[in-house]
Formats: sequence, C-alpha cells, structure tokens
Amino acid sequence: MTATAVLERPVVDWRVMSETTPDPRALFEEQAIPFLDQLYGAALRMTRNPSDAQDLVQETFVKAYAAFGQFEQGTNLKAWLYRILTNTFINTYRKKQRDPYQGSTSEMEDWQLGTAESVTASMSSRSAEAEAIDHLPDSDVKEALQSIPEDFRLAVYLADVEGFSYQEIADIMKTPVGTVMSRLHRGRRLLRGLLTDYARSRGLEVATATAKGSKK
Amino acid sequence: MSDCGCDKARAELEEYLRNEICSTDAEDIRDHLETCEGCQSELHIGVVLTQTVQRACKETAPEELRDQLMARLREVQTH
Repeated sequence: MTATAVLERPVVDWRVMSETTPDPRALFEEQAIPFLDQLYGAALRMTRNPSDAQDLVQETFVKAYAAFGQFEQGTNLKAWLYRILTNTFINTYRKKQRDPYQGSTSEMEDWQLGTAESVTASMSSRSAEAEAIDHLPDSDVKEALQSIPEDFRLAVYLADVEGFSYQEIADIMKTPVGTVMSRLHRGRRLLRGLLTDYARSRGLEVATATAKGSKK
Repeated sequence: MSDCGCDKARAELEEYLRNEICSTDAEDIRDHLETCEGCQSELHIGVVLTQTVQRACKETAPEELRDQLMARLREVQTH
C-alpha cells in the first residue's frame, strides 16, 4: 500500500507542508482525529439529530483535511476545526432545518426570556436551585439546550462545554465579542430557567421566592 | 440594597467566572464575594450550570462514523 501511494497523485496540494512533514495524512490523523468525539458532540447539539450530525462531522473533516496545508502548525487546531464545523453547519444544514426560533434571536426581547434571578430571590433558595440543577438527568439538560434558540445554544456550548474564550467564539461564530457576551448571558438565563422548571416538575426541591422559608 | 456592590458584581459574575475581566475588576468582585453570601450563591449557580451542561454534553462518536471517516479520508487522498 505504501508503495502504490507514492505513485498516486493527491488532489490536495501538500507542497507547503512537505518540507517539514513527509506524511500529511498521518499528521492529520494524529492531530485532528482525536477531536472527533468533541466535534460529534457539537454537531449533535447543532443539528439535533444523530444522522445529520454524522454527515456534518464527515463533511467537516473532509474539508479540514483538504485545507490542512493552510493550517498553521502551532496555532489552535481545535478552534480551527470548530470554525470549519460551524461554517459548514450554517451554510449547509441550517438551511435544511427550519424551526420557529431560527434567526429570530435578535427579535426576542428580554421580557420574553424571563428573569431567572427573580424566581429565586433568597439565598437558601439559590443553593436549593443549584443542587436541583446539579441532580438533573443529562436528558433533561440536553432537551433544555435543544429548545433554546440556535445562536444562544451555540454560544453556550462553545463557552461552557468547549471552554473557548469570548474572542475565540467571536471568531468561530463570526460575530463581535459583545454579541457573543449577550448571547451567552441570555442563553444561560434561558437555560437556567428551563432547568429550574424541569427540576420543579421532577419534584426536586426548588424553593420559590414566594415560599420564603416556609419550605423548611 | 443597591449600593453594596451587588449590582456591579451580578452584572459581571459571568465574566468573572470565565476569567474574562481585567484583574482590578476581578479583585473588586472577589472582595465583594467575600462578604456577600447572596452573590456567592449566585456565582455557585453559575458554576453548577456550566458543570451540568459539560457533563450532559459528553458524547462519543459512533464507531461507524469513525470507520466511514477514515475510509473517506483515504479515498480523498488517493483519487
């Protein structure tokens, strides 16, 4: 196999890399493939179904592979891969998937988002809330994430799950840092409200502001 | 109850949590947190929220995806 590989002409121009790396495929497999699980997780949150997520991830890696010669070694490969993933999602899959929220986040007013803080005013109720959220099953958390608007969901995912900085998220989502911050704030506020509701409906103890100590 | 530092702390708690504010602001918030249980518990919810989302979103790519992907990459290169 290695003998024939030399004879075959690659579609990709690897000349840029060939001086330092004799086998770009091995390098790509070694460096990029370890992000497969993470990118699949992100793709699942984006597309909200496993089959589209798989297609999206495959397309992302094929594109990344083709462009790998342009990737500057030593810079953030994870962020680079996420940029390709997000681009591919927006250009290909978002068009296929329509839901009433999409593209409408800027039209959502704060009053529509509600204020999670007002629900839990006292200190003891806040620690009860934290504990209740902590005890929720993963399925509830995913469902809550699925139900918030896409731009918010992506910002929350990139910040909380992947730990990207505001600037990195801004680069990935191609928006100003201020927009990232606002999406994060609002996304997390929505999420917190939803999770608190789930906890309450599951009978987990979430003291409400009006209960004021009456709940032990 | 508004000039005790809570307003400023609450507004920047999330940035504080993510280490996205300058060191003097962070110090102000840290000082405030030391004496304010309300803001402490608000910060705690923020931390729990992040951990909960992290925990719930851990995924493993299906084996078939890995196999298909490797096959496709090989195909791309040899065509």
